[in-house]
Amino acid sequence: MTTRHGLALLLAATPLLAQVKLPPYTHNVLPNGVVVDLMRKPGVPLVRFRILVKGGAEAEPPELAGLAGVTAQLLRKGTAKRTAAQFSDELDFLGGTFQTGGFAEQYSSATTINGEFLTKDFDQGLDLLTDAVLHPTFPQQEVDKLLAQRVDAVKSAKDNPQAAIPSYYGAFFFGPKHPFGHPPDELTLARVRRDDIAAFHKRLYCGRNLIVIVTGDFDTASAEAKIASAFGQGEAGTAFVWNSPASPAPKTRLLLVDKPDATQTYFYIGQPGIDRHNPDRIKLLILNTLFGGRFTSMLNDELRVNSGLTYGAFSAVQEYRVPGSIYISTYTKTETTGKAIDVALEILKKLSEKGITPEQLASAKAYIKGTFPPDRLETADQLSATLADLELYGLGRDEIDNLFARIDAVSLDDANQAARKYFRTDRLTFVALGNAAKIRDAVKKYSDEVTEISIKDPGFRGVR
Amino acid sequence: MVSIMRLLALAALGVSLAAAQINDVHTATLANGMKVLVQEDHNIPNVALYFFYRIGSRNEHPGATGVSHFFEHMMFNGAKKYGPKQFDIEMEKSGGNNNAYTANDVTVYTDWFPRTALDLMFDMEADRIRDLSFDPKIIESERGVVYSERRTSVDNSNFGILYEQLYAAAFTAHPYHWPVVGWPSDIESWTMDDLKTHFRMGYAPNNCVMVVVGDVTNTEVLALAKKYIEPIPRQDPPPPVRTKEPDQLGERRVFVRKPAQLPIEMIGYHVPESKNADDAVLDVLQTILDHGQSSRLYSRIVDKDQLALSVNSFRQSSLDPGLLIFSIQPRAGVDIAKPEKALFEELQLLQTTPVSDRELQKAKNVILADHYRQLKTIAGRANLLGTYEVFHGDYALLFTEEQRVDAVTAADVQRVAAKYLTDKNRTIAVLIPEEKSK
Repeated sequence: MTTRHGLALLLAATPLLAQVKLPPYTHNVLPNGVVVDLMRKPGVPLVRFRILVKGGAEAEPPELAGLAGVTAQLLRKGTAKRTAAQFSDELDFLGGTFQTGGFAEQYSSATTINGEFLTKDFDQGLDLLTDAVLHPTFPQQEVDKLLAQRVDAVKSAKDNPQAAIPSYYGAFFFGPKHPFGHPPDELTLARVRRDDIAAFHKRLYCGRNLIVIVTGDFDTASAEAKIASAFGQGEAGTAFVWNSPASPAPKTRLLLVDKPDATQTYFYIGQPGIDRHNPDRIKLLILNTLFGGRFTSMLNDELRVNSGLTYGAFSAVQEYRVPGSIYISTYTKTETTGKAIDVALEILKKLSEKGITPEQLASAKAYIKGTFPPDRLETADQLSATLADLELYGLGRDEIDNLFARIDAVSLDDANQAARKYFRTDRLTFVALGNAAKIRDAVKKYSDEVTEISIKDPGFRGVR
Repeated sequence: MVSIMRLLALAALGVSLAAAQINDVHTATLANGMKVLVQEDHNIPNVALYFFYRIGSRNEHPGATGVSHFFEHMMFNGAKKYGPKQFDIEMEKSGGNNNAYTANDVTVYTDWFPRTALDLMFDMEADRIRDLSFDPKIIESERGVVYSERRTSVDNSNFGILYEQLYAAAFTAHPYHWPVVGWPSDIESWTMDDLKTHFRMGYAPNNCVMVVVGDVTNTEVLALAKKYIEPIPRQDPPPPVRTKEPDQLGERRVFVRKPAQLPIEMIGYHVPESKNADDAVLDVLQTILDHGQSSRLYSRIVDKDQLALSVNSFRQSSLDPGLLIFSIQPRAGVDIAKPEKALFEELQLLQTTPVSDRELQKAKNVILADHYRQLKTIAGRANLLGTYEVFHGDYALLFTEEQRVDAVTAADVQRVAAKYLTDKNRTIAVLIPEEKSK
């Protein structure tokens, strides 16, 4: 099957639409510190449990990158009550799901564990989840197996440029000293030992670090007592203390990753962005929608629709606990690498210098509002993710309930000031992945500082 | 398992349930032959509007492979009332977005938007079905886009290129032989005439099913369909695809040599089309083999023997007999023959020994839970309704999914495994890593 475009659907009614509201939910804190949110969302007979463990990649020693993800993946591989095989058989018999981590592992401020069960299986599902989350045994042979698999998975990802380039970009942009600058790789995963995993679990999987969110078609009254009983027994432990990493100093630099058989060059162009609490967030949401956040965006219009240089070009504003980056991402055939980067930079310059028009502002506002309900409010899963953001970042329901008003309040001047402030044309970080022999000359004009590595080198920053 | 009885009881109590568990779909057929399916759902103020055209790469011919997919792109490049770019610009400024996909058998246009844009969407969809324009300059630019898509999804994707080679080897006569995106030389040489012929052949209202799910009323949808779509005249549908793939007479093996860190293997078996009674059995069989960490293939090949990072099976809905594909990503340093042998042993076991009651029930539970998962969104339901209507012949089968799967027995699984998962019936594609020659 072949689709028209591969743009990820971003946050997104029309000016005529009324403000959407977050459905009602309860928020409680158990005596041992566990935060419990319950939201009933009738629909299909399924219930979703989302458990957050504060820390995530931010709690890993850089040399053991991947520790948080590996710990989560091993939770089901042997527990107080079940062997790995028993756990899997019981889970699968219920048609349940148990998922941890995800592709944003590198940028996580919490580990996320998701489980989904038929409503009638609420009790069994909860039992499986608490058994895994609170009472894992981490058998040595399961640890060895998983770590070896994860190392191979990094190699497999490097056979797929689209899967690999985000890790190269993150490592290069944030650098080795920043918690988001160390994606798990062949070297860090090989260093992880069972003791590290058990200690990580003991330190972080405790009452004060846990957030339990239950959404879907279930009986909230009886669920409250069940959740309290399941999660209230554990130790309160010590709350994870966030550090305040210094953001990378912006400067012009370029990383060239050589993949000699590539017939296409994949590239990122990044610069400093904002954190989730930044008051400019809505302005950037609007600007990014117009710049590279939808099909008619400036980047996609020029690089795809007008010139046929690529199948898709987009941009993103990373929103994490600490400031992330703003980046452009696209790809083009080897021969047009320089041309596509030039066009991307021209569009950036245009946004920065000329800003946006009143018509564009109105269109972006309508787009964000119109696509918001199906992206964030339609299913129990989406609502669960929304609640997780509110809890993790300490936000209230006003974040959703007054979102449309905050969008409406952004004036053209506000937007254009933000365009000048954030969409800068200097001190950019470039990452290009492709056939170095053929694109080296084309890309070196973008920076005096060029680092070149081979995709065959272990890790995502080359051998030092 | 949730019984239908219970659902009805809850519904009677006023508990809101996903509408799709009870057949509440309104249907109509316009005077020009287009079938319309409408399901009202007021959960969010949005609408999913899907058009399933019964035309895909299956209806193409050598020299113009990929033209269905290229045409899908051209459907966004301007018509009479709404010119180039206008479809997307108008849609996005009204708070909606869209995508489209082309497969072997169908081309599907998917619109998601706030209910306030309903009239606009009907106007724009009717405009492009009736009066699409063909601008030579835009055709050239879009050719570049499609080639870039091919480079990304096939030429620079080890899975993509292997998948293409697998189909090309497994199908020697039937049009499933060529890739949906098209062969490179065809992408370079489509002509305006190819496009126009394709448009006349496939984009007839009588060759299309429209599905609307979301914050609408059946009455308003029908009124809009009558106003905008019904005046478009019917045409002859695409000619029937006459070629049938001959029975395969022996294993086929193809190799792709390419720089890579890890090899990949795909194994395809010819299996019947979606309407065939064995379809549900194949669903169960696949679930037993590859769903979850307790599945036969995961527990043996990934976990116990540690020969592969992953083993998955894949089968898409199809109008003609297609393929059941197993894909193996071996571990580093493992000879590809080992996971392959383990896979064949597991497939053999299904043929010789009946699956246990518990394993059968587990598979049924999984399929039902996954079915509910696909019904969560208005987009998911629009897609399923259209898929059941086109591939299974009746959208209403969506509401009897539980019975369809429940009827499968252990003997069925054994019979179907023995019938299709044979040595003679398989094609194997292997990606072998090689050093780049300088």
